[in-house]
Amino acid sequence: MTVAPPAQADRRYDLNFARWVRDNVNGGEKMSLCMQCGMCSGSCPIGTEMDHGPRKLFMMIRAGMKDDVFNSSTIWNCTSCYNCVVRCPRGVPVTYILQDLAAKAVELGYVKKVENARFAKAFWWSAKTFGRTDERLVTTKFYWSGGLGDFFRKSLANLKIAMGMVKTRRMHLGAPHKIKDRKGLQAILAKAAEIDARESRGGE
Amino acid sequence: MSESKKFTYYPGCSSQGSGAHLDRSLRAIAPKLGIELEELEDWNCCGASVGHIEGGQLANTALSGRNLANAQAQGAQDIVTGCAACYLNTHGAAEKIKADVKLRERLNEALGAADLKYDEDRRVRHACEVIVNEVGLEKVRQAVTNPLDGVKVAGYVGCQTVRPFAETEAGGAYDTFDDPEFLDDFIEACGAEAVEYDIKTACCGGSVSVMKPDKTLHLIKKILEKAVEAGADMIATPCPLCQTNVEMYQDAINKKYGTDFDMPVVFYSQLMAVAFGMDGKKDAGLDQNIIKAKKLEEKAK
Repeated sequence: MTVAPPAQADRRYDLNFARWVRDNVNGGEKMSLCMQCGMCSGSCPIGTEMDHGPRKLFMMIRAGMKDDVFNSSTIWNCTSCYNCVVRCPRGVPVTYILQDLAAKAVELGYVKKVENARFAKAFWWSAKTFGRTDERLVTTKFYWSGGLGDFFRKSLANLKIAMGMVKTRRMHLGAPHKIKDRKGLQAILAKAAEIDARESRGGE
Repeated sequence: MSESKKFTYYPGCSSQGSGAHLDRSLRAIAPKLGIELEELEDWNCCGASVGHIEGGQLANTALSGRNLANAQAQGAQDIVTGCAACYLNTHGAAEKIKADVKLRERLNEALGAADLKYDEDRRVRHACEVIVNEVGLEKVRQAVTNPLDGVKVAGYVGCQTVRPFAETEAGGAYDTFDDPEFLDDFIEACGAEAVEYDIKTACCGGSVSVMKPDKTLHLIKKILEKAVEAGADMIATPCPLCQTNVEMYQDAINKKYGTDFDMPVVFYSQLMAVAFGMDGKKDAGLDQNIIKAKKLEEKAK
């Protein structure tokens, strides 16, 4: 008797995904150079905390596993150490690709509750509003974004650290540090976002 | 005496927060090394390693673009920063813009919204690279009046100070990605002992440690463990985020792993300030370390 082939996996593959990554993701044009050697995953300090290493993620991109790629923890747990970038024998800018995949995951609405995305939101708010990162406010806003319980849990866990920072004058009390020309900066950032949007719609 | 060389100094956001003692000690030692630091006019955040996520690629590059445009208006001198993330972003953006006409066009369209433009090229340098290539170790040695004899230091470089630019021509080709020597050279030039420390460029978890330390405490634990094994009195680093992460999470690590770390983490510039005979607080900012570097405080004037 012939053994039946395994049932079709309940998963949809987007066969245009690799092409989309090539055309839309920062560094994606070099992804086709990847020869699956695993130097990136082997060099990753935090690969054990990722559900797939970068090598596997790249293969998943080729296989068209779009949803799995955007939902993976890989793109969020990259610490930006750049080991993979300097070690890749084919010159694939792995870190840059992972970083931009994370940005695209936010843009395409894949992530709502991922901690890093919430942190990035708080961070950008400070950069845009004040022109500078206010570590106190970014952290507080980030803790708050996880809900009341998370806010108290994280605040309590880090209370001693915060007090140490205040005591050593590494966390100031009072108004945030700001740049002078905040209006100018905000105009630049708005214009940049507009240009990005214009070009992603295919216009030049 | 030779003349001093002027740089446009980009302190970065941590200089007004967690990395205030890096900024303090860098400004203190610069004149002793023949470096004049002129602060970059109205500098803004570089975007660190998360700006692009919420802001998008071009807006994130425009953060650096605005700083580069202001630096261009300020003069022809190179830009220098002591912060690894500021260096990574600003240097990376400057090199990318230099090589990509289209990007420069788009950037200038954005900068135009605030009547700024960046149409020249500025070299963006890391303070450590400047000390290696511009100042030279000999000059560091000559500035030492209070050698740190008997102080054992583990030189911990971290990631972004050397990766991905330390071996590139634009990055000044000042050291290697995996096994840099400059930090041990700085330590020894100060008269201290650089202990054998082979995980110099291990990762502290960077911003992931800030948001999700449960994922990265094991990385910091290893950095501390190796320093203890090597018999170090303290760790020295060039990176503000490494300094903060490795220092502030020791309690959490001790709690999680049952260890008893109490390892001071200082900046190389704090070592230099003390070795140059400067004030331990006012110049070296030793009172700004949460875990006090007692051996260094004892040496300080």
